[in-house]
Amino acid sequence: MASVPQALPTAGTTGPAVRPGPPAIARVRRRRRPSGEPPALPRQLRTSGKWWLALSGAVLLAWAVVIVTGTIRYFDVADTRVLQAFAELRSPLATDVAQAVGLLATERALHAMWLANLVLLVAFRRWRHLFVWFGVVLVVVNVAAVMATTLQRPRPFEVELLGSWSGFSMPSLPMTVLAAFLVSTVYALVPPGRTRTIGKWVVCGLLVVTALSRLYLAQDHPSGIVAGVVLGVAAPLAAFRLLTPNSVYPVRYSRGRPAHLDVSGERGDAIVRALQDQLGLLATDVTPFGLAGSGGSTPLKITVKAHPSSGEGESCVFGKLYAITHVRSDRWYKLGRTLLYGRLEDEKPFHSVRRLVQYEDYILRLFWEASLPVPHPLGIVEITPEREYLLVTEFIAGAQEAGDAEIDDRIIDQGLAAVRRMWDIGMAHRDIKPANLLVRDGDLFLIDSAFAEVRPSPWRQAVDLANMMLVLALRTDAAQVYARARRQFTDEEIAEAFAATRGLTMPTQLRRMLRQQGRDLHADVLRLLPFQLPPVHIQRWTWRRFGLTVVTVVVAGVAAVVTVGLLGSPL
Amino acid sequence: MRVRPGPVLAALALLLLPGCVRPVLLDSEVLACREGDEGTPANGVVLLAQSVPSAAWVPCLETIPLGWDVSGLEVTDEEAHFWLDSDRDGARAVEIRLDEGCDTTGATRIPSDREAMQRWERVTQVFPQYVGTRIYVFDGGCISMLFRLAGENRAEPLGFATQGIGAVPRDAVRAAVHEQTDGRLELGS
Repeated sequence: MASVPQALPTAGTTGPAVRPGPPAIARVRRRRRPSGEPPALPRQLRTSGKWWLALSGAVLLAWAVVIVTGTIRYFDVADTRVLQAFAELRSPLATDVAQAVGLLATERALHAMWLANLVLLVAFRRWRHLFVWFGVVLVVVNVAAVMATTLQRPRPFEVELLGSWSGFSMPSLPMTVLAAFLVSTVYALVPPGRTRTIGKWVVCGLLVVTALSRLYLAQDHPSGIVAGVVLGVAAPLAAFRLLTPNSVYPVRYSRGRPAHLDVSGERGDAIVRALQDQLGLLATDVTPFGLAGSGGSTPLKITVKAHPSSGEGESCVFGKLYAITHVRSDRWYKLGRTLLYGRLEDEKPFHSVRRLVQYEDYILRLFWEASLPVPHPLGIVEITPEREYLLVTEFIAGAQEAGDAEIDDRIIDQGLAAVRRMWDIGMAHRDIKPANLLVRDGDLFLIDSAFAEVRPSPWRQAVDLANMMLVLALRTDAAQVYARARRQFTDEEIAEAFAATRGLTMPTQLRRMLRQQGRDLHADVLRLLPFQLPPVHIQRWTWRRFGLTVVTVVVAGVAAVVTVGLLGSPL
Repeated sequence: MRVRPGPVLAALALLLLPGCVRPVLLDSEVLACREGDEGTPANGVVLLAQSVPSAAWVPCLETIPLGWDVSGLEVTDEEAHFWLDSDRDGARAVEIRLDEGCDTTGATRIPSDREAMQRWERVTQVFPQYVGTRIYVFDGGCISMLFRLAGENRAEPLGFATQGIGAVPRDAVRAAVHEQTDGRLELGS
């Protein structure tokens, strides 16, 4: 851990508030996970997925054996006998029914299904599922087409082919695509649980009925249908289970930010288990907390057993659950900012969840060691290696956000002292907004240090000061905050802060609350200052920004071309 | 199981982009007039025969000169055709179709070089590229060869059409199926 310079507050300033330590929590012996034991929430294909993949392997092996040994004739004969048996059942009415039932595997129906899925996935902004959908369908279609061309099996012999057909017959391309479409639809659009189970049975029924229709009409060999269905089911099943697990990318139709993960069921159990194993905390309840103020993680209130000395049965800790999705959101967010505004200080994205959580924990410990009013850090819990981690801290019970709490001179001084202290130790918070300032019993707490930075530019530190003053002025007024600020900062420092802060540099929540109040606090402070400094420009053009913009435009163009191509039938 | 989705998604993306174009893995052997020790027509020819059950003759490939490739084969219950690319005459320079009947309007009948077939020729355009159709009409069907030749030497592709693009009687296809299935199945029709 890096040492923190212990700068003393200058005369006339108010130092960091002295506050009581976190409530005592019961701890039990921690347990090291033995090598080979799965993590708390492992990623898995499940038994059915493994079975379907094994079946695919068996089909591929069977094809290889048939090709090498030249024994396709036996399959031809067996298939023909089955088709002849179906042909015995033919009647005008049954033929009409079979043709109607088989419509699902026609090119027009498959195209409609393809477009409907694309539209729905875009409408629900389920991008991950959409890309997996694309990938699965295109891979399955192309693999099936290559196999058919390689195996070169003609259509059935000695039976009149009543329906339409196209190309070689092994595997049955319409059945492969239909199975892949239906299974993908179930995994991309139907919520897990009972509904999805019903959906799977419906898919099973549709596949059976369509297969029977195609056998009756002699459009495919029985073995071609089996091979096609196995390939068409196994590929999307494996892809969706591995790439869009329900626990990380849930399919749901309720309102709520995609960043917020469901902490019930398997994940909730895993969190409880991991807290005990890794931190020795005995959790009894895990519930989402303050979701409205969080967009980049899932904040949790975790009820744990209190220490016997506290005389209470239960206590609480705060958890921030980070998943790989949050890292990706962070990456896109920073790319967007780089494109729109250029290089704004440190906009380098994190490359793994572990790094992101480690960084926030480290920053929190630096703040804590520097006596800043932050929650006491309790550690990191691994839920799924490299994918999901929980940052655990003290829970500030009974606190109000600064935008709702009563703000007096003491709170103002604490807020300004926190900024002063960060300046002294060479750090910046970078996300000072009402939701990140909590007030409880006359004490101010600074939370959410995810964006904080060690050795930031002076510009960034100046922005922190202006944002802190604006937040504190939301419930008071500019003159009061300015007067208190002059006790800890010079006019030059305040003028620099307000020259650096405008528009983008203010967190969205702060901008929104300023608009709602209809007060121009920024201008009010500027009027109070004895002098003003020229605004600091935030639009920075660099070669990196230029290159990124060009690459983004090219990628967007290619994506548009591909999308237009994909709107046509994947067949 | 620990899976890194990044590489998986990247691999999917790589498959995704070219996925818009169906991979072409056609070998000229798929339409060979004679293959293997028995010299029976290839399965592509069997498929063409299944598409037009009335046709007494089925097109196939005897030999392919250097610079020519089979680039497409589309056989359905409604149509049967394949096409070849040439490194000198461009993509889809020659397209061969098998149909139940052909329209010979505007075509000129000339002496046929193939037994049991009438030969018709229709030249639609000479410059800047040669566009013409050669039609062989026979019992129950016809084979048409559409030329779109961008190269200057037009004799070579026309000569290839005469010698490289062959036709086998349906009986030969029937015999192939019979042989492939140890005499247990017949082509039918």
